[in-house]
Amino acid sequence: MFKKFSEKDSVSQSSQLKSSVIRNLRHNFLQQYPHVEPYFDEIWPKRDNVKLVKCQDHIELIASQTGDILFFKQRDGTLLPTLRLVHKYPFILPWMQVDKGAIKFVLSGANVMCPGMTSPGGKMSVVAKDTPVLLVAEGKDHALGIGMMKMSTEEVRKTNKGIGVDLIHFLNDGLWQMKSVK
Amino acid sequence: MAAVADANTEVNSRDFPNPILPRTDITYPINVLYCGVCSLPTEYCDYSPEPEKCKEWLRQSLPDQFKAVSAGGADDAAAASAKDGEEGDQDGGDDDRKKKQTRGGKARVKLPAAEEKKKPGAIKLSIASRGKKKYVTVVTGLGSHGIDLKVAAKFFGQKFACGSSLTGDDEIVIQGDVKDDLLDLIPEKWPDVDEDQIEDLGEQKR
Ligand SMILES: [Zn+2]
Repeated sequence: MFKKFSEKDSVSQSSQLKSSVIRNLRHNFLQQYPHVEPYFDEIWPKRDNVKLVKCQDHIELIASQTGDILFFKQRDGTLLPTLRLVHKYPFILPWMQVDKGAIKFVLSGANVMCPGMTSPGGKMSVVAKDTPVLLVAEGKDHALGIGMMKMSTEEVRKTNKGIGVDLIHFLNDGLWQMKSVK
Repeated sequence: MAAVADANTEVNSRDFPNPILPRTDITYPINVLYCGVCSLPTEYCDYSPEPEKCKEWLRQSLPDQFKAVSAGGADDAAAASAKDGEEGDQDGGDDDRKKKQTRGGKARVKLPAAEEKKKPGAIKLSIASRGKKKYVTVVTGLGSHGIDLKVAAKFFGQKFACGSSLTGDDEIVIQGDVKDDLLDLIPEKWPDVDEDQIEDLGEQKR
């Protein structure tokens, strides 16, 4: 999603969000990730006037008052945390661990193939198809990507071939390089 | 990963718990150390296009971390090659060897500066201002997808009820800002066109 993304020619405008819109976004997010609740006011302070940054290809980013990019919006409107945010709070999304051999492929923007998660170095959460997941790696402390399950964990185990997770956002992609917005 | 508790799970499976629960022995936010050269968490510097530069940076700016990382890195590498060996022994066969070859190759992390070239055949959408508040939308590249430009121009005009004309080699200008609509309309009308091939260039001077 952010492979060809760059701050210079992707951002088209940024605006303050209405408090009613913010309330809605916060509410929806918590409904999806209720376990984040104790930390949510820290992650996204209630009174913070977050900015909505519109970018090319219908991509929208949500940035804190200080310019940290907290979330990005999928085309369907659901919010996903950025890697910089999940590095701080890695418990937001369920984890899928890729083995060592898969790391460099993820870092170059490739989708995650099933064997990379079912091999001895891989490890999974039990989730359904179309669940957003955090990609962590064998032997590493910090996440390297965020993706969307193309099949359920069960199916990944059963078929064990083809693409298991669609890569959405990864270390060093355009969104990562953006760091913050003004 | 050490960042989160495995909590009450792992009892009867080796899966992660879901949801992952925050650890009580850690204060959040976790402060991740990012490399000053490749911008990745320093544990990923092995995958940087210039790991030597990363190492140098780490040694100079954070000597303690440097020691920890370089020690860990060596261990990891050894473990990985040991593991590769095992895999090969277990499965044997040509398939496995082929797989290993593909998995060994090519992929590389790009330095932040490296920019991708635009694909040939990309359809580019941009808007240009006409006066203070009016815009026209410029579409180029449709022709390279085998789309009849005359038909396309007429189709756009009818769809948006506005002026639409063929203005150049492979360029259609539509009156009004319909760029966002086109992003959805083009793949809908011409299913052969992949959404990823459409580039939104924003506002351009003409
Ligand atoms: Zn580095």
